[in-house]
Amino acid sequence: MNARFGLLGLPGRALLNFLAYLGQLGQLSADLSHSIFRGSLRLRQMAEQLVGIGYGSQAVVVVTGAFTGAVFTAQSYFKFKDFGIETTIGGIVSVSLCRELAPVLAGLMVTGRVGAAMAAEIGTMKVNEEIDALRVMGVHPVDYLVQPRFFAMLLSMPLLIAESIVFGLAASAIVATGVFEIPFAWFWTHVVDHTNHTDLIFGMSKGFVFGILIVIISCHQGLAASNGAVGVGLGTTRAVVFSSLALLIVNFFLTMLLNFFFPLGNAL
Amino acid sequence: MTETDSSPPFIRVTGLRKSFGTQKILQGVDLDICHGETLVLIGPSGEGKSVLLKHIIGLLHPDGGQVELDGVNLSEMSERQLLVARRRMGYLFQNAALFASLTVAENVAFPLREAGVRDPGVLAERVHEALDLVELSAHKDKMPINLSGGMRKRVGIARAIITRPECILYDEPTAGLDPVVTDVIDHMIQRMQKHFRVTSVVITHDMNSVFRIADRVVMLKNGVVSFNGTPEQLRGSPDPEIQNFIAGRSGITA
Repeated sequence: MNARFGLLGLPGRALLNFLAYLGQLGQLSADLSHSIFRGSLRLRQMAEQLVGIGYGSQAVVVVTGAFTGAVFTAQSYFKFKDFGIETTIGGIVSVSLCRELAPVLAGLMVTGRVGAAMAAEIGTMKVNEEIDALRVMGVHPVDYLVQPRFFAMLLSMPLLIAESIVFGLAASAIVATGVFEIPFAWFWTHVVDHTNHTDLIFGMSKGFVFGILIVIISCHQGLAASNGAVGVGLGTTRAVVFSSLALLIVNFFLTMLLNFFFPLGNAL
Repeated sequence: MTETDSSPPFIRVTGLRKSFGTQKILQGVDLDICHGETLVLIGPSGEGKSVLLKHIIGLLHPDGGQVELDGVNLSEMSERQLLVARRRMGYLFQNAALFASLTVAENVAFPLREAGVRDPGVLAERVHEALDLVELSAHKDKMPINLSGGMRKRVGIARAIITRPECILYDEPTAGLDPVVTDVIDHMIQRMQKHFRVTSVVITHDMNSVFRIADRVVMLKNGVVSFNGTPEQLRGSPDPEIQNFIAGRSGITA
């Protein structure tokens, strides 16, 4: 940008860079669509990724869900007790876990674990010319590297979120009944009264979208890596930061959209 | 040359130009490569030999000019069209570019598997045959990280030849190898040409290899072809720069 543009130059350049970045993500999405609809499925690579992404992320997601459920129960109890409605904790915890806490926190944890791994692995392959090696052997890197990760993520994320919800509720029940001595029957009655399958669909739907965001953003950073180890490190950091920010921003709009289709039922 | 003058070249490079930033690498390269010939590319380091090779296989897109394979312009193809065209060629990278997550045997089998060969018996036999050619059969179960640089390069050669492509592009196949293994690789390149009529383009700095395997030698200098002829013509060239290059003389005195 020319120096004459002065103060306008900097935001102008940032805007152009952002538009160029969106264009690259669009190009990768188009290549991925082509791979999905016209290419063949790579079941072996997909199975490997399912193990790495889905099976391997369970511990992180379970711990995140459980302690989120536990701490949310405690905080709710401290305030609800003042109004004498502490027995209704089950309702607010289950709705919050299904609709926001489990999808967002599990999504952020998976971003840190899986998004970083995707960017680092693909980035290392890029700087070692392994991506070019795929191309000379007639294999499109998106077919071999991105498509299996995409499907693995699409299948794993909703299930991981469901798992996070289940463990969050279980931890909430343990804290509510064991620590705060709320009768389990009261706790569970409010869970059942205020939560139904649409809340679960709400959370799992977010998992689909977050999964797509994480795959596209992280794989793009890997495929765009250059400049050796420094470039791979930078790409990995960007993958986590960009995916997390995108996830949080998209989450708001997704909540508004999904609430249109699955409105929040009986409010507490 | 092994083709008659009337037959079209297998690969035709016309007016190829490529810059990286402000650095002009190729500044109008014209080159014809015929079916079945072994063409050796020589020239000082950093003069664009690898860049030219990457244009021939379509890994890089030219700023100007074009590369034709059997009369089809590669420079106008999409990446997915190029994938099909590239299957006619094999490519050895300067650093071998083996897949770090696969064993030696899996690396070598990769292009064959991608070409649709699924039978484990056939795959094992072809992998053994390719590794045997580069004298590495005993190391098939090792991971690339556990191999020396020279061994990695030989695995890269086995991976490049296993599909028996029409054309193989070698980027410094013998760099870092001992003289005996260099001789093995040179003989292998000659055998590929003799038995399978493979077209080879070889980048090398080893002048012994040049005179052993080349049907034709091309020298790249200042981004253009500065010499194009037979090894004998190269040896007899009156150009002092070429003679210094052949003899490895820098002109610096102690």
